[in-house]
Amino acid sequence: MNAPLRQLTWVFTRDVTFTFGGGNASMELLRRSLQARGWIDAPTHALLMAVSRLTPGTSILAFCASGGWLLNGWRGTLAAVAGGSLPGSLIIFGLAATLGTLDRYTVVRGLLSFGMLAAAWLVLVSAWALLKPYLTGAGRRRVLIIIAIAASLYLIGWTPVRVLVVSAIAGVLLPTAKRGRVDQPTAPTATMSV
Amino acid sequence: MSVVVVYLLLLKATVTSFAGMGSLPQVRQDFVDTHHLVTADELSEAVLIGRATPGPMGAYVVAVGYQAAGVRGAIAGWLALITPAFLALPLLVTVQRWLHLPRVRSLVDAVVIAGATMLVPAAALLAFDGATQLLRLLR
Repeated sequence: MNAPLRQLTWVFTRDVTFTFGGGNASMELLRRSLQARGWIDAPTHALLMAVSRLTPGTSILAFCASGGWLLNGWRGTLAAVAGGSLPGSLIIFGLAATLGTLDRYTVVRGLLSFGMLAAAWLVLVSAWALLKPYLTGAGRRRVLIIIAIAASLYLIGWTPVRVLVVSAIAGVLLPTAKRGRVDQPTAPTATMSV
Repeated sequence: MSVVVVYLLLLKATVTSFAGMGSLPQVRQDFVDTHHLVTADELSEAVLIGRATPGPMGAYVVAVGYQAAGVRGAIAGWLALITPAFLALPLLVTVQRWLHLPRVRSLVDAVVIAGATMLVPAAALLAFDGATQLLRLLR
């Protein structure tokens, strides 16, 4: 896949920089944008999610790096990482240098609250988009066991990395059913921005 | 404090965490407790700025770098933020190469399923924080 560099840069910049609520919400926006353009399909998005979760550091930037790599090689990686990190970093630098505490601005707090609620919705949609192909395909029992393991360990306070490692081991050890609909792309969805 | 040291300290924090704010304990230990490069209040301010700004949560390290060493510190913070992302490339290439093997496919599937499962409490926390802030403003 060789996505046009300018478009790629714009999509990553827009979907990461203009999203409140962190990387999970941005990843959902990126999924919609990249799939709408036919640049990636659902299994590729799932692969990018897995790789970004297993990479140290900020997950959304790992998503940008690997997504950019798949779409346009080294140039795509550099463009996506720069697009996903530079504008936000410049805003933070500007605020750190000028404003000081933002807490006193009611407008900022109000916007932040709405941004967080919108981001929570996006994160839930993202979780469902990832889980749906597994839950509707063959081997649902195996999927439910992995979900139960991950949820239990996370809720008792294990770090996400440990949860992922144990879940990965469980995934390898649990018997697999016939491959289900997980390899099929999900239906395209409408784009929504925060 | 040398800007290289600021970069290395921030890199140590970002490369040993697996989420945006996951680097905070290490940053606090190195910058506030051990080297006294920023105060606890300055760190809280940096976190607040990071949260109030759209984009990656982990970008608060740019503000930490700025508070510790000015403009060059901010650049060091940005570099520390993006450096670990490039580790995704060898991982991606390796996974793609072996993805046709059922065991590797099962492993990747399990990571995706577990990652998606953990998104649900993350969304709940975000919604709770947003709703709480909104209610506080309306009172």
